[in-house]
Amino acid sequence: MLDYLIYLLTFVIGSIAGLVYSYKLHGEPFVADSKLNISYCIISIIGWVLGFNSGNMIIGGAGFVMAGFVMGSRPGYGRKESAVGLIIAVLIYLLLHLTL
Amino acid sequence: MADILINVIIAFLAGSLLLGLHRKIMARVQKRPGPPVIQHLLHSLKFFFKETAFPKTVSMPFYIGIVFILAAVWIVGVIVGPVTKGSLLILFGVYAVYKIVEHNAGSSSGSPYGKASCVRAVLSAATELPLFAAVVLVYLKTGSMNISSIIAYQSVNGPLILSIPLAAVMFFILLLSKSPYSPFGITKDKALISGFETEHFGLLRGYIMFAESISWYVMMWLFLTIFFPPLSAAGYLIGMLVITFITAFINATTPILNPNHSVMTQITLGAVCFIGTLIMIFI
Repeated sequence: MLDYLIYLLTFVIGSIAGLVYSYKLHGEPFVADSKLNISYCIISIIGWVLGFNSGNMIIGGAGFVMAGFVMGSRPGYGRKESAVGLIIAVLIYLLLHLTL
Repeated sequence: MADILINVIIAFLAGSLLLGLHRKIMARVQKRPGPPVIQHLLHSLKFFFKETAFPKTVSMPFYIGIVFILAAVWIVGVIVGPVTKGSLLILFGVYAVYKIVEHNAGSSSGSPYGKASCVRAVLSAATELPLFAAVVLVYLKTGSMNISSIIAYQSVNGPLILSIPLAAVMFFILLLSKSPYSPFGITKDKALISGFETEHFGLLRGYIMFAESISWYVMMWLFLTIFFPPLSAAGYLIGMLVITFITAFINATTPILNPNHSVMTQITLGAVCFIGTLIMIFI
């Protein structure tokens, strides 16, 4: 169970860091930029892929920090990037684990 | 001991994140951006560091003690459930004590809102009837109250959701009544401000939120464990996400019922499902 605790804790830490950083970047009273952020997208893909597929507590934990960083952004930001990262990670997981 | 500690922290973190997701989904259904998923956890942690005030009308030491009993009750729930996979009867007892605590937290506060919530907590004990009926039906089907034995039964005979689906519906109604902003959540009706929690501030509210997060996790874990085949961690995660999504969608689109309607709806659904399941088992 320790690995799941580490994953949860790292996700929470990443989310808090992402929320704080996102509010520093976007202080507007409304969502000003709804375009896909490529750098956030890359962080999200790497994070979710490592989190779901590494099988290693430390690498997986690092992955969940990155995934949480993007997913924990200010409401209105990081949604599309998180969705792209999650879909790619789930597809890779299925490709690795399903033997057709 | 380490296993208990790890499981309690997991229950708190996972429960908080799922309750945060619950709020987020409700907001999105209502076309609002909603708070970040982590907001419920941040709120819980924030309350642990806020100043605690004690209203003059409270009955000490009950007012303080009841909060710690609430947290202790759900820690017992984690120990009996995910840690030891013990008896369903103890978990039923945990839920019964939770209802008593809800009642007494309201009555000890001295606030009219807390007292009204306390009276409604007695009415909302109706949710225990579907839970008790579901436990009885699971026993009739599997011949055991022990969660480990129920898991073993399902690995041989298939999941209980297929053989006694109406019992699962009853249990799901209990989950729905436990979820925030539920149509059955008469103790926390916004007409009563925050119900039995209205006069609990600071550290005391932190403990209440801690217990609520754990209870949400434990109840979902129990539902998934006794009605679905043995699940992996990913299975539990997906199951909890799906339940959170469904309850959030229902709560976002359903107004809160008045106390009489809430009780009658739950008892009626419980009775129909109980009789239906008995017919399925014996005929």
